Amino acid sequence: MAEYRAEVVIWMLSGTLSLVMMLVWMAQAAAAPGGQIRGYSAPEFATYFLSTWLVSQLLVVWVSHELDFQIRQGTLSPQLLRPVDPMWLHVASHVAERLVRIVPLLALVGVFTWLSGASFTREWWAYPAALGLAALGFSVRFLYEYAIGLLAFWTESSASFQEVVWLVYAALGGMFAPLAFYPEWVQRVAVWTPFPYMLGLPAQLLAGKATLAQAGRGALVLLVWLAVFWVVRLLVWRVGLRKYGAVGA
Amino acid sequence: MRRYLRLVRIFVGATLSAQLEYRANFLGAVLASLGEVGVALLGISILFGQPGVTQVGGWSFREALLVTGFFMLTEGVISVFIQPNMSKIAEAVRTGNMDFTLLKPIDAQFNVSTRNLNVLRFPDLLIGLGLIGYAAAGLEVTPGGALAAAVLYGSAVVIVYCIYLGLSTTAFWFVKTQNVTELFSGVFGAARFPVAAFPVPVRFVLTFVLPVAFITTVPAQALTGALGGGLALASPLIAAALFLATRLFWRYAVASYTSASS
Repeated sequence: MAEYRAEVVIWMLSGTLSLVMMLVWMAQAAAAPGGQIRGYSAPEFATYFLSTWLVSQLLVVWVSHELDFQIRQGTLSPQLLRPVDPMWLHVASHVAERLVRIVPLLALVGVFTWLSGASFTREWWAYPAALGLAALGFSVRFLYEYAIGLLAFWTESSASFQEVVWLVYAALGGMFAPLAFYPEWVQRVAVWTPFPYMLGLPAQLLAGKATLAQAGRGALVLLVWLAVFWVVRLLVWRVGLRKYGAVGA
Repeated sequence: MRRYLRLVRIFVGATLSAQLEYRANFLGAVLASLGEVGVALLGISILFGQPGVTQVGGWSFREALLVTGFFMLTEGVISVFIQPNMSKIAEAVRTGNMDFTLLKPIDAQFNVSTRNLNVLRFPDLLIGLGLIGYAAAGLEVTPGGALAAAVLYGSAVVIVYCIYLGLSTTAFWFVKTQNVTELFSGVFGAARFPVAAFPVPVRFVLTFVLPVAFITTVPAQALTGALGGGLALASPLIAAALFLATRLFWRYAVASYTSASS
């Protein structure tokens, strides 16, 4: 992964939705009477959105693209001959990429913090808690993206499904605004999904706007979803492999 | 000219029949279009849904919706007409297929820019036009304003095409360019809001450094009659200058191209 340094930085910068939203909300707060919207001042918006940006960078998963390619091109076949589930290969490359990413990522967060006046929480426990939630969130996201990528066994359009799921993840995860800003019915739907707990919640922890108890509850929800997607992924993989063999690959 | 129009017709026919082979794709593409418009609308309605907020950067909800419409329309233009062609340039350079393109007796830039279409994302264009129509219905739009908006949107499309072609042309040296175009789509995400919604220094960057403002905000302003003469003139001028620059850049790239095998 360290081979592709330039690429890693470009991919980091291309996930700009949080940064765009940060600028819009900061301008909004600055123009609002009293200088804040729903108790968020411009620097607080900066802190929240920089945190979502940081967390979303830790959650990046591209496995469905690779599976789509491997299944269509048949490069999956040699991997099936190995005694390990090919999933672990993908896990390893995702984790390795994260290690390469972390240094430039923190440097960029530093620069943006300085430019925008954001200030992160001083409570030490928020950092391991946010990191733990991000790790759980990554695992959940990896599993459902893997299951979506495996849809390539049946359909040509697994890439568009992946796109739709990304949109739901970004919306309900809180990339447009803190979840409390959303219309109430959206919030009621969102709490049943894993998205607010993998993205918005760790960001709120870093911004000093969430408690340890909330983090614990979020972790429990994510663990349930992790179990669900583990089973789903396994089922899709087993059924899909039979289909793949049937084509004569 | 007649020959090129006939070629466009042949290209369209060929891609259509190739794409309609995969009917299941259509469902996925429709889902993606609907998801995208849903998220765009959610984003803007959250912004306006806060207590006490009636306008963003001096734009009312309807006016901002107009910008969202132009944003969706441009996303459609990119995914139907531009992206499918541009992503193939790097591939052709890598595999050596560019040789065949350059050998053909038609202009190579024309060929790489028009050969492919992604008809599946056609609904994006309709959604964008629908949003613009809906937003405009609640605003006062003069025929002159509509005409100006159409012309300025034309130069917006040229600007987008030139940026994409310029970035993709770097494939002649760097081979892998998908990342660079990805970077542009990240910046282009800012176009979903009027530039006035951003802090002043960022507004400057979005207008004069990365001409994102000319793609969605300027046509929307023209439609509502809020556009000053300066920006109205600047848009076609920038489009023309960019077109010339990318044309020269393309010629230079082709001239220094050494096939994949040599």
